Amino acid sequence: MAVKEIDVKLFAKMFLAGAKYLDNSKEEINELNVFPVPDGDTGTNMTMTIVSAAKEVRDLGEDPDMKSLCKAMSGGSLRGARGNSGVILSQLLRGFTKAVRDEQVITVPLFGAACTKAVETAYKAVMKPTEGTILTVARGMGEKAAELIEDGADDFETIIPALYEHGNAVLAQTPELLPVLKQAGVVDSGGAGLMKVIQGALDMFQGKEIDLTISDDPIAKPDDSRPGKAADIQKNIYHTQMKTSISKPVNRQLESDVKSYLASIGELIAFKADDNEVYLEMNTDDPGLVVQKALKFGILSDVKITCRVQNKTADQSASAPAPEEPKGEPSEFGFVAVSAGDGLADIFRSLGVDHVIEGGQTMNPSTADILDAIEKVNAKTVFVLPNNKNIIMAANQARDLTTEKTVLVIPTKTIPQGITAAINFSDGSSADENEQTMIEAIGTVKTGEITYAVRDTNIDDHDIRKGDFMGIGDKKILSVGTDMDQVVIEMITAMVDDSSELISLYYGADVSDGDAGALKDKIAERFPGLDVDIQRGGQPVYYYITSVE
Amino acid sequence: MSLKIAVVTDSNSSMSMEEAKELGIHMLPMPFFIGGKEYLDGVTLTHEEFYERLKGGDEIHTSQPSPDSVMKLWDELLQEYDEIVHIPMSSGLSGSTGSAYLLAQHYDDKVQVVDNQRISVTLRQSCLDALELAGRGMNARQIKDELERVKFESSIYIMINTLEYLKKGGRLTPAAAAIGTILRIKPVLQIQGEKLDSFAKTRTLQGGKEIMINAIRKDMETRFGCTENFHNVHLEMAYTYDLEEAEKFKEELSAAFPGYEICMRPLSLSIACHIGPGALAVAVSKKI
Repeated sequence: MAVKEIDVKLFAKMFLAGAKYLDNSKEEINELNVFPVPDGDTGTNMTMTIVSAAKEVRDLGEDPDMKSLCKAMSGGSLRGARGNSGVILSQLLRGFTKAVRDEQVITVPLFGAACTKAVETAYKAVMKPTEGTILTVARGMGEKAAELIEDGADDFETIIPALYEHGNAVLAQTPELLPVLKQAGVVDSGGAGLMKVIQGALDMFQGKEIDLTISDDPIAKPDDSRPGKAADIQKNIYHTQMKTSISKPVNRQLESDVKSYLASIGELIAFKADDNEVYLEMNTDDPGLVVQKALKFGILSDVKITCRVQNKTADQSASAPAPEEPKGEPSEFGFVAVSAGDGLADIFRSLGVDHVIEGGQTMNPSTADILDAIEKVNAKTVFVLPNNKNIIMAANQARDLTTEKTVLVIPTKTIPQGITAAINFSDGSSADENEQTMIEAIGTVKTGEITYAVRDTNIDDHDIRKGDFMGIGDKKILSVGTDMDQVVIEMITAMVDDSSELISLYYGADVSDGDAGALKDKIAERFPGLDVDIQRGGQPVYYYITSVE
Repeated sequence: MSLKIAVVTDSNSSMSMEEAKELGIHMLPMPFFIGGKEYLDGVTLTHEEFYERLKGGDEIHTSQPSPDSVMKLWDELLQEYDEIVHIPMSSGLSGSTGSAYLLAQHYDDKVQVVDNQRISVTLRQSCLDALELAGRGMNARQIKDELERVKFESSIYIMINTLEYLKKGGRLTPAAAAIGTILRIKPVLQIQGEKLDSFAKTRTLQGGKEIMINAIRKDMETRFGCTENFHNVHLEMAYTYDLEEAEKFKEELSAAFPGYEICMRPLSLSIACHIGPGALAVAVSKKI
């Protein structure tokens, strides 16, 4: 029997099934990382984005109307959006729902128009759309839908499977459009994530048995409270659990060190390590410390932080739970910055940043996290320093959702760019002048970051083996090797030119003060005409973040 | 027959004793103390010796010219001149103006103390302006009034190489003290009239130079109405210790502002001891 219409109930179920399917495949998407660095997160970001919407849909109950359903899908994904692919996914949903929200059912022609609207909206959200990404995959499906409908297709049973098939074909072509994908031997991760959503929706459409329970995982908003248990717990109030995928087995010494550390900051419930994964569960007052520690082993997944007092679930990348009420007269200017690591947070605060959102490459804060931070800053104009190219879009989205204040996002792609922007701020200048000065200033600083490879690959003409150290510059990989200091020095050599004056190093949580000091001496010796400034950044994953200016 | 007027300043005008003499300006050397011993700026201590001791970490304290030395000079001058225009360093940075004002009460109206908040190269220019006004036939009182009327018509930006010395001397305004202390930062401070205040921050020499050039350009255009062909201000430069770097900056400044004659002088030692070596400054004073 031909299906000519999708009603609200089916639409909601298809959406939930899509979200669920992506959630179940997120690790697979995380693996599709161009750089072999331990920060693959597209799957996590997109999942968090869509689950944020799915939860709002779930909360509408069994029988929602079209308008509320669309509002939940659009608003939930907008606020939950993390990372560039997450933001684009949220814009696709926003465009699609905008086209259908005033109708009772989705007809075939309406579906075609909604697909077109979705693609349009997503392209508009990106300043410089890149082909070979989620955008291309979405556009491919949008065009296919239009084509099929024009050719007379009037039945979803024909259209939806055809779109799925065509989307996968476009996805398979992404390496041909984007050389970095081809070199890394992967398809685009955002596009792959989108196809997981479509697959889930298709499965539901075709009547497969799917569990649509959307559980409260870490993405829940801080105020998403549910009936709580006894409120008499006063110590170790956060129940914290997480899994970490590990690249090499944990040795006994490290295991016992970590266990005793964890025991010192709370009550350790479980710590299990096998060859692939570390699972840990504990009650603590400072889940941030636990996350920091767990990050030492590898990539985090399934982070769940629950407040045992009111049974509130909190986002793992959200900062201090206590909301600070803005008091008194607002100041002219305020700053929000995103950074990971206590040292870097201190540096940003010392430069006048009012609110530091803990996050970065491995933990992209959501639009809602950034909105929260903006709200906490009692100023008329708030500058936002995303400090990561994957956070800029979420920051822009937060800016667009802010009504009470002026928000200016300075598109800082790295920590050193953020530091430079903050330094160049001047209280005496206007918001526009400051924006311009800061944007100009970030062009004067070069960034290089040191991390390790999680797989063998060849990229930018470097043969990289799993476990190698890599120096990643603003545009490409600058150095690779097994001796970390050597990799840092080679990377800096590639960054320095005649006009360079200052080399800054921010060393990460996994580098000791002594090792950092010794490296500083080597660098000073190697570049006698330049000043070398070294600071403890305390960031995870990146042993060193360096800049040359 | 017009009055004979003497112009007096102190060595914070960044002139050497010789230059002052040549220009017909009478100058009091600023005293300072190193290890309890008194030295006179440019008289009993050379710049080279001074920076050696500053870098060596010697405690250096500055002071004002003693009342005795001020009155002695005035008394001498009044033998030859009818009136005196006395222009000390900015009252925002030192008590010299206040003390001189008190002393001048004993001289009826013959000594006029000018409170126009100039320092270094802009103070030097003020002295030249005073001579010019005297040449036009003004008396000391009229010169004082005119110089004070235009006291805000000058601007100084100064890039400090390190905050170390300012912190040591307790000369930072709260705004400047709030500048990040974790990272290596070079503040650009400004003097508009009264105190030193923070203007911008940078991490590199090049960045600081650009900030100062842009700031001066903006002042020239918006505050003083300069255009490409209408040079309404004197362009000036000062530095501490590093002449080579200063010469380089002077060239860059000439390139940025073609057609201006740039007066460059080392900052006086009593300022240098508060900001340390390696500072660069740009200033403009509006032509009278």
